[in-house]
Amino acid sequence: MATTVLDQPPNMAALFAKAALTARGRGGDLPDTRLARTGVTVDGGNLAGYARVCGFPLTGALPATYPHVLTFGLQMALMSDRAFPLALPGLVHVRNGIDVVRPIGAAESLDLEVWAERFATHPSGATVDLCASVTSGGEEVWRGRSTYLARGAKAPAGAPESDVTVDVGTLERSVATWRIADDAGRRYAKVSGDVNPIHLSGLTAKAFGFKRAIAHGMWVKARVLGALANRLPESSTIDVGFRKPLFLPSTVTLATAQAGGGWDAAVRNATSGTEHLVGTIRPR
Amino acid sequence: MADWYTTFANSGFGTTLTKQLGLPRPAVLRRYEPGQPLLPGPVVVGSAGKGRLRDAVTAVLRDAGVTVQSPATADGATDGERLGAVVLDATGLAGPGDLASAHDFLAPAIKRLRPSGRVLVLADPPSDADSPAQAAARQAVDGLVRSIAKELRGGATANAVFVPEGAEASLAGPLRFFLSGRSAYVDGQLLTLSPADVPTGEDDDRPLAGKVAVVTGAARGIGASIARVLARDGAHVVAVDIPAAGESLAAVANEIGGTAFQLDITAPDAASRLIEHLRERHGGVDVVVHNAGITRDKLLVNMDAARWNSVMAVNLQAQLDITQALLDDADVLKPDARIVCVSSQSGIAGNRGQTNYAASKAGVIGMVRAWAPEFAARNATINAVAPGFIVTEMTAKMPVGTREIGSRINSLQQGGLPVDVAETIAWLSQPGSAGVNGQTVRVCGQSMLGA
Amino acid sequence: MASNSKPATRKAAIVGGNRIPFARSNSTYAQASNQDMLTATLDGLVARFGLQGAEVGEVVAGAVLKHARDFNLTRESVLGSKLAPSTPAYDVQQACGTGLEAAILVANKIALGQIESGIAGGVDTTSDAPLAVGDDLRRVLISLNNATSLQDRLKALARIRPGMIAPEIPRNSEPRTGLAMGEHAQLTAHEWEIGREEQDELTVRSHQNMAAAYEQGFFDDLVTPFLGLSRDQNLRPDSSLEKLAKLKPVFGRALPEGAEATMTAGNSTPLTDGASAVLLASDEWAAERGLPVLAHLVDAQTAAVDYVHGGEGLLMAPVYAVPRMLARNGLSLQDFDFYEIHEAFASTVLATMKAWEDPAYCKEKLGLDAPLGSIDRAKLNVHGSSLAAGHPFAATGGRIVASLAKTLHRAGPGKRGLISICAAGGQGVVAVLES
Repeated sequence: MATTVLDQPPNMAALFAKAALTARGRGGDLPDTRLARTGVTVDGGNLAGYARVCGFPLTGALPATYPHVLTFGLQMALMSDRAFPLALPGLVHVRNGIDVVRPIGAAESLDLEVWAERFATHPSGATVDLCASVTSGGEEVWRGRSTYLARGAKAPAGAPESDVTVDVGTLERSVATWRIADDAGRRYAKVSGDVNPIHLSGLTAKAFGFKRAIAHGMWVKARVLGALANRLPESSTIDVGFRKPLFLPSTVTLATAQAGGGWDAAVRNATSGTEHLVGTIRPR
Repeated sequence: MADWYTTFANSGFGTTLTKQLGLPRPAVLRRYEPGQPLLPGPVVVGSAGKGRLRDAVTAVLRDAGVTVQSPATADGATDGERLGAVVLDATGLAGPGDLASAHDFLAPAIKRLRPSGRVLVLADPPSDADSPAQAAARQAVDGLVRSIAKELRGGATANAVFVPEGAEASLAGPLRFFLSGRSAYVDGQLLTLSPADVPTGEDDDRPLAGKVAVVTGAARGIGASIARVLARDGAHVVAVDIPAAGESLAAVANEIGGTAFQLDITAPDAASRLIEHLRERHGGVDVVVHNAGITRDKLLVNMDAARWNSVMAVNLQAQLDITQALLDDADVLKPDARIVCVSSQSGIAGNRGQTNYAASKAGVIGMVRAWAPEFAARNATINAVAPGFIVTEMTAKMPVGTREIGSRINSLQQGGLPVDVAETIAWLSQPGSAGVNGQTVRVCGQSMLGA
Repeated sequence: MASNSKPATRKAAIVGGNRIPFARSNSTYAQASNQDMLTATLDGLVARFGLQGAEVGEVVAGAVLKHARDFNLTRESVLGSKLAPSTPAYDVQQACGTGLEAAILVANKIALGQIESGIAGGVDTTSDAPLAVGDDLRRVLISLNNATSLQDRLKALARIRPGMIAPEIPRNSEPRTGLAMGEHAQLTAHEWEIGREEQDELTVRSHQNMAAAYEQGFFDDLVTPFLGLSRDQNLRPDSSLEKLAKLKPVFGRALPEGAEATMTAGNSTPLTDGASAVLLASDEWAAERGLPVLAHLVDAQTAAVDYVHGGEGLLMAPVYAVPRMLARNGLSLQDFDFYEIHEAFASTVLATMKAWEDPAYCKEKLGLDAPLGSIDRAKLNVHGSSLAAGHPFAATGGRIVASLAKTLHRAGPGKRGLISICAAGGQGVVAVLES
């Protein structure tokens, strides 16, 4: 296993372009590569923008989902590399798990490491997990696992069954209604760097087979956590499944219920009830 | 604030033009301002008949800082200074023959009268006369004064005060009023005094200091002006008007440092609420001015009951009910209280289209006359004031022709101002007006209507 | 938690109040600002009590919807009024509880002897509501303002995009739930099984009570006309069950499927513009000026509920506040001669009373051994409330305090009244007045 340490954050737009141009003819097993950056510090302006867009209070600690933004560039760099077996355009984020080992201070110097694992078989294709670890002073403080589905792709022979189900209790009481504007994707792209065209506009989404632009799953997850801010365990495991795409614009409801010392949550379309996200938050 | 024509007629070009065209030349009237001397020039006091009041008059005038000349000096015209007022003491007339001396005195004196000067004749009431000859002489004063008033120009006025035996002490206040700028628009009037306990040592600048005065209909027009003048004279004014007029009522109260009390005076419990308010907030009331009034004009044959009833309810019945309630209450009406009711020229002369209004306003005159003895018994007074053509927001809305004619058909050739009515009411409200009771004083510039 | 005993203090007297008639949104007061309305209301109070040029201890007021330029709204209004310019003032905001909270603040300072007199008030307009530019444009404009060179300014200007221009209009919705207050109230009405008809009945009674009060001249010394309006514009003396029954429900988006929506424009308060003020003082101050003491503010309490994730109704906080205040004063819910429960919605009043009657709820949620019990409806909102008058958020508290104080005064000494006001953010402000 080789670890490559990058000096600079990768250029996202360039990575998307590269991934799109090199989409064809991929295959094989997952690369054994790990990408890393060290001594990363958080840009205060970007953090404030992120907190505003996601509905987090701006504090001295990072929102639970923020390290994902820090490591996302490395994920992209890994997936856009020719050695990565699945074509990035068309990958769908279906599950995201986060372990907050302890809250991270906004001023901490962080080391990031990203790798891929668990190439697995899914009824409609194959999934792969992009994992990230954030350490501070040699101690792991945060872990992330993003499961992506490639429809029609095939996992190597002998691959395990993929696990994308997140179970929640009955969530009958909606506690909030969100009117999500059609620029939600662009706003989140600006603060997260996730400039995947399917989120940016109707036109660019159509080019990739979606009828309209769709909201970033990680943004929806962040908003759920924002709505529960100050009611979350200090150290927690946050696991969400992304169900149906959330088309922009939309009106959705958030349902929550206390469970297992933490929370169950669901985001659904306000009129049709279509489930966009279900998730659990549990103390570690 | 003079009307446009008066302003024009007193401008350089206007003076020339109105003179050449022979148009009326209304004068700018001398009106009272705080600190102003009683008169702008000396007064000459003369007598016809025995003249029992001359010394008293002279004393009052000297007290007020006025230079008093004797007829000899006036006749001699030594210093040529023009007169602020001419006062004739015509008490003690025995018969018409005594009037010759009145003519002898008045003719040269009036010639020397300043603009906005005053002619005041004091006489015995004709009703008390011992003989027809004496009654004739006394009654002759009436025609004499009214005619002088019509002859005077330049804003000068002539009035008469009848002073019965025993009412001499009542004279000082009325004397000062008729000579001062407060009576600017009171002209050609005859006032009869009655005996009373008149307090002395009154503060002439703030004669109402420490008094609590209620003014109904105080939100605008004449009522607001009454409130202002009473406050200027030292009273704490409880400004009353219907709740719907509360916004301007509050503005008036705030302007004069008074209080606003929103009340529909025709409500069944209006009197009790007013009394309760006065007792709770002020411990009683010294002055009540029944000013609130409405018009609902229509020719009698076309008038519906609603118009008749509403005008009667506000203009007359409410005055009766509230006054009666004040009298019935043990202590809210102070012993030396003053009630002043606003009547109208219409109530004296009648007015086409105003049968309801004129009836209500005539009723007010009867009311104060009837109540006077009861008020006198508690050393209080009740009087009415009947305004003539007063320039207000209401008259500003009249057609130009009607308005101009209405405002010119009087000896002063102009409409009065709300403040003229207010000054008369404030005077009747003074402690020094104790000897004026049951009277109706017209503030009309000697209107030709109903004269 | 509230303390269980009170220090020895004096009780603040309520001398009287003033308000302008409440106008329907975008109507008679469409051109009037909060400052215009509050100034007029203060001037009406000054006229009523002869306070021209007087310096009162403090003027405390607020508005729920406020322009940025109104950062010092109350002080600016004082400066524009007939009160002495040396009268200090400050702003408060506790949503619909603002007016009552302002009165509590003034009363507390009087009780502690820090001031001898004070004016509490509130004002709101939904006609002249502050429009905000979107976040993006706002940030560009701020950097434009901070730019020192022409180049920097041009750079900032270049960042403006057409999409940024659309203004943000303040919504009458809870920021954390995105639901209009009416939607929340409809959920509570559903939960407490509050029917359409009882809501309409309460509404008709509010209109009838207020219309009768106007006819009897009850508001003659509580209201001063403004801009030609002399009565509350929302008041419908001819309101009837038949007319109300014809109205369609306007809330219910958030109801579970199949549940009946029961709240209409009739049994909910409309958006309204208006202002109110109350004069409070020590007994001595009032006596020195020959001013009446209508009632005393005996005690007050606030409470809040977790309506976001806690499963409690948005407007149920007064239900919690009242028993705490009763316990501290050794009173039962039945120990009152008059009740003023703010009619944000007819269903709110009914749900509040139902909750107090419910043994299980009182035990589990309020921690009481026995339910608070029912109240005599004949003593409830006897001169009408917000359904009839309208509800300019911050102005409602002052309206209620002055009306109840007068009601108690007229009933004679020793009478007691309860005020209960629900507020956005799951809050409640309650108080006891005594004549």
